[in-house]
Amino acid sequence: MAEEAAPTESSPLRPGRAARFIPRSPVGWLGLLFVALIVLWLGRNLVADPSEFFSIFFIGLTNGAVYALVALGYTLVYGILQLINFAHGDNFALGGLVASTVIVSWFGLGGDPSTGAVVVGIAVALVIATAFSSALGTTIELVAYRRLRNAPRLAALITAVGMSFILQDIGLVGWGVSFRTIDPLISNDVAFSIGDVGFQWNKLTVLALTVPVLLVLTWLVRSTKQGKAMRATSMDMDAAAMMGINVNRTISFTFALAGGLAGAGGLLYFLHFSSIRYDTGFQLGLIAFTAAVLGGIGNLSGAVLGAILIGLIEQFNEGLPLWSPGSDWTRSIVFGILIAILVFRPEGLLGERTPEGG
Amino acid sequence: MRKRGLLALFALIVASLALVAAGCGGDDDDGGGGGDGGGEITALPSSSCTGIEYEGEGEPDYLIASDFPLQGSSRTQTIQIVGAIRYLLDKQGWKAGDHNIAYQSCDDATAQAAKWDSGKCSQNAQAYAQNEKVIGVIGTFNSGCAEIVIPVLNQAPGGGIAMVSPANTLVCITEGGPGCDESQPDKYYPSGTRNYARVVAHDAYQGAAVAEFAQSQGIESVYILNDRESYGLGVATNFRNAAESVGIEIAGFEAWDPRASSYEGLFRKIGNSGADAVFLGGLIDENGAKVIRDKVAVLGPNDGDVKLLAPDGFTTQQTIDEAGEAAAGMFMSVAGVPIDEFQGEGATFAEEFGATLGGAPIDPYAIYGAQAARILLDAIAASDGSRQSVIDQLFQTKVENGYLGTFDINENGDPTGAEGAVVGFTIYKATDKLESEATISPKDETVQAARGS
Amino acid sequence: MADLPEKFGGRQPSRVGRFLGSGGGGTLDALPPIVRRLLLPAVVILLAFTYPTWREWFTEVPVFGGLLPGIGTAVIMIVFTMMAVGLNVVVGYAGLLDLGYVAFYAAGAYTAAWLASRHYEQVTFHFGSVGLAEDVIGIHLSIWLILPIAGIFTAIIGILIGLPTLRLRGDYLAIVTLGFGEIIPQFVRNADSIKGFNLTNGTFGINPIDSPGFGSGLGAIGLPESYQQSFDRANWFYWTALLLLVFTVFCCVQLRDSRLGRAWIAIREDETAAAAMGVPLMRTKTWAYAIGAFFGGIAGAYYASFKSGAFPSDFFFNISVFLLCMVILGGMGSVWGAIVGGLFLSYLDQEGLAKIGTEIGIQDVPKYSFGIYGLLIVLVMLFRPTGLIAERRHKRELEEGVHDESLYGAQH
Repeated sequence: MAEEAAPTESSPLRPGRAARFIPRSPVGWLGLLFVALIVLWLGRNLVADPSEFFSIFFIGLTNGAVYALVALGYTLVYGILQLINFAHGDNFALGGLVASTVIVSWFGLGGDPSTGAVVVGIAVALVIATAFSSALGTTIELVAYRRLRNAPRLAALITAVGMSFILQDIGLVGWGVSFRTIDPLISNDVAFSIGDVGFQWNKLTVLALTVPVLLVLTWLVRSTKQGKAMRATSMDMDAAAMMGINVNRTISFTFALAGGLAGAGGLLYFLHFSSIRYDTGFQLGLIAFTAAVLGGIGNLSGAVLGAILIGLIEQFNEGLPLWSPGSDWTRSIVFGILIAILVFRPEGLLGERTPEGG
Repeated sequence: MRKRGLLALFALIVASLALVAAGCGGDDDDGGGGGDGGGEITALPSSSCTGIEYEGEGEPDYLIASDFPLQGSSRTQTIQIVGAIRYLLDKQGWKAGDHNIAYQSCDDATAQAAKWDSGKCSQNAQAYAQNEKVIGVIGTFNSGCAEIVIPVLNQAPGGGIAMVSPANTLVCITEGGPGCDESQPDKYYPSGTRNYARVVAHDAYQGAAVAEFAQSQGIESVYILNDRESYGLGVATNFRNAAESVGIEIAGFEAWDPRASSYEGLFRKIGNSGADAVFLGGLIDENGAKVIRDKVAVLGPNDGDVKLLAPDGFTTQQTIDEAGEAAAGMFMSVAGVPIDEFQGEGATFAEEFGATLGGAPIDPYAIYGAQAARILLDAIAASDGSRQSVIDQLFQTKVENGYLGTFDINENGDPTGAEGAVVGFTIYKATDKLESEATISPKDETVQAARGS
Repeated sequence: MADLPEKFGGRQPSRVGRFLGSGGGGTLDALPPIVRRLLLPAVVILLAFTYPTWREWFTEVPVFGGLLPGIGTAVIMIVFTMMAVGLNVVVGYAGLLDLGYVAFYAAGAYTAAWLASRHYEQVTFHFGSVGLAEDVIGIHLSIWLILPIAGIFTAIIGILIGLPTLRLRGDYLAIVTLGFGEIIPQFVRNADSIKGFNLTNGTFGINPIDSPGFGSGLGAIGLPESYQQSFDRANWFYWTALLLLVFTVFCCVQLRDSRLGRAWIAIREDETAAAAMGVPLMRTKTWAYAIGAFFGGIAGAYYASFKSGAFPSDFFFNISVFLLCMVILGGMGSVWGAIVGGLFLSYLDQEGLAKIGTEIGIQDVPKYSFGIYGLLIVLVMLFRPTGLIAERRHKRELEEGVHDESLYGAQH
């Protein structure tokens, strides 16, 4: 695997969809073995206690849906600029903190508010958090990344790290070191059960909120004029400009969209996980980014798939009774998967091969 | 040509090194020794410490320092400890016996880590050792930091520097035996003599107290979580050992990742393990509120089937504020008696010192800080002013009706023969505030068992 | 070289590197070339070695005197600067963005912990240990021996991490290193019972670690038997750290101008072109990793010995980023830049911010530290992408925008 370098994938014959999953080297077989072990582990637990398995599956699915909102922001920006926007996770956290201020300090929700107050409060928080993060994302692009348009990619990446620090510090100074917390606004009671598997209201709400967002987003990118402009810009910026696409505006729009997702994600995170603080975004950003890479960065459905997989892996590892390494190792496993994916299959599960992956 | 350049460079370096070594060789002689009370006080480095504080008459003879993490999550407690030390010095007219005592408060945390930093601890320790006017140190807050500071102070010129901690609870700093490495505690005292004492009972007491309480609540099987930090893991381990010895089954022992966003899967597993209680070895700052919420969400309220126990890392109003309704019914322990039940000197101190806080609630650690400072100052008062003599006096300490009651310091530096606050534990139950539920002085055999094997 | 303006003489910062670099300058023509080339480094080194002495003269000077770092702080500053110089080899020379350098620091620190403490109670083995009784349990090698061992061990770790990952390019590599930077601390934390074997003592870390020293034999010529027990502990640690830094800088400068160094820079500039010209990509990149790791390991081991302990909580992601900031601030690829950046930022972190806060009357300045570092990075990247002290080659390319991969460019 050493010196042969990049151009292997530019061979004229592209393997078919199924063939892409057949390993081409011993390293690849190793990867496959790894996957087989995971399947074995999950299968063992499924057989031992199916209802427990699906209960944990449902928890992981919900968590993954929240991660997906953040992962999409990474993937959108990467798709168009090939930039890992490190500040995105912190933008998300600030969005969540702003939402926490709206909900807790303005509306005083918590305890036992009426349903009407909850709906109004959440709606206002959603608008404000989304607008805030949207504006923040666009501003960062305008102030920092745009000027680096012709600089080496490393420069932009490092700037993104710097921006992430600045946003984290804003969160620290503005909201302090302690977690902002809230008593659950949406009931944790079981809405309905299938067999022994209970589906709780709060998790269903999260899914009910994220699924439409994902559908709208897909529609936006696939079918609208603005979406076409985005895709054109991501394929070839110069050509897009020549075809009369306003590249600057398209990029700003992308950042606004990613920021909006971050804001909405922040609110949802705060409501669902009930505690957030200045560094939450950094932690979750790493996870969400891993999710985006896992699915194939630049690919929208890939990001969602990756996020859900990460959510599942985390919960399976901590929750499944048999053969689980346990929560001592969750982070190692998540990042181990990241490394394994990048080494064995850099284009991700759904992604196309790019020269970056070599 | 390059080779010659190389040689020349190294020659230069060696020459300059020799020059410096020679230049400083002469200074070595006055570095050590006990000091005789004369001469001016040089300040500890301003990078970690406040300026010299002295408000007494004349010139100060000696310097004492305190070493606490003044940034990050422990700040609320450590600021009060420092305040208590100042208050005490002020009350004594900045004197210990015939000696005039100046004070500097040093910080062992960095902003980056937002908690104690091992590099900073080491650096501070060196500064104390090298400043011949320093004859005593109050600290540290974290046992991990103490592990670094003690050996340096132990080997300090002039027989070592006395150190009194108001907060270190790691067992093996002072005594070896079960649960400790073979080299503990001797590895902290390379000079062969002790220089360290503390006024808190170590974690084995707390583990034993909570285990006995759990037994009295009829708990049969407990799942133990810890935050994988030295305090949390330490107290979780001690609790595990004690619980086993009183006949409670250990359903599991695992970490919670403070950076995770959800613990629901973890608690489902705990639910399946058949445990009827969960113990949280760690701090509320390590995402504790979320752990409590998820526990209640998955396993039901804390006064229901599965109880929730926590050590003093959770015993603050902050836990109730952050975890909200979910905290209700959880049991939390803390060393000593509730502040409003302190008696004698302790009550007086709490009242007087509390008045200086401008309405903020007094933290129990303030009283421990005051007691530690008092012991050190009394040892200095009884000494002839040399470092060695302060250490000798420290181990003669007998506290009668001190802030924490009546007790001695034994040859290991632990409080012993206690009555009153120092080895008793209060178990609180959370409602909308902390309500005391029980007071427990654990049996000797449980404490021994808590230390492990 | 001759195209640079000469009028600023030796005071222009970007010319500093030339004195240690390959070419001679035309400034101090009267002097022989070797002297000319070594004059400035020699003066700097001399000043640095005498710092504990002349620091005293300035302590009374208002403001400035108060801002001078203490000797203990200076040791930590130098250790971090060493790591920055090592990271510069990876990031600056070879252009491989490493976000997990802290893993190397950890490997070095734990090597020292394993080989110079009482951690392994099963054995009693002394070799060149100082200031300890003969019968003290555990492995106790001389720190002087441990430093190179730690370097080599860490270099091997670097190679092991590098082999599977280095064929990835650009930001993917950055992410993989980030992953390792997260996994290794967790491994260290959890490795207190690997099948019952206590490798790292887990959360509690390993301490105390032995101190360097020269043994009783050399006491006659004024060298301390053991630093820990010396009256001049901080100074000795300082001088030793400085020697190590000089060694690191010397090696890095030599490497830059070697065949390997040119290969790194060729890869950094254009990987495909470099491969076409016959530069073995994997081997060259792996060397960059190994050498960067080597110095990180030495620095880590020395630091562990200095603070007499290795704790898992010391190795968090922020350190990696902090080191990267040092390299960027100073100027990627420039050794002198990494030194200036490293000294400056670690000074700010250790005491600078707190002191400046006191001077201007704001107690809470350290709270803003991360924002300040972030702002520094962003400003440097936007307005002076070459860093404070630009590497010559980098300077041209960044200022004129000649580079193969641009951020907003089309896909390659």
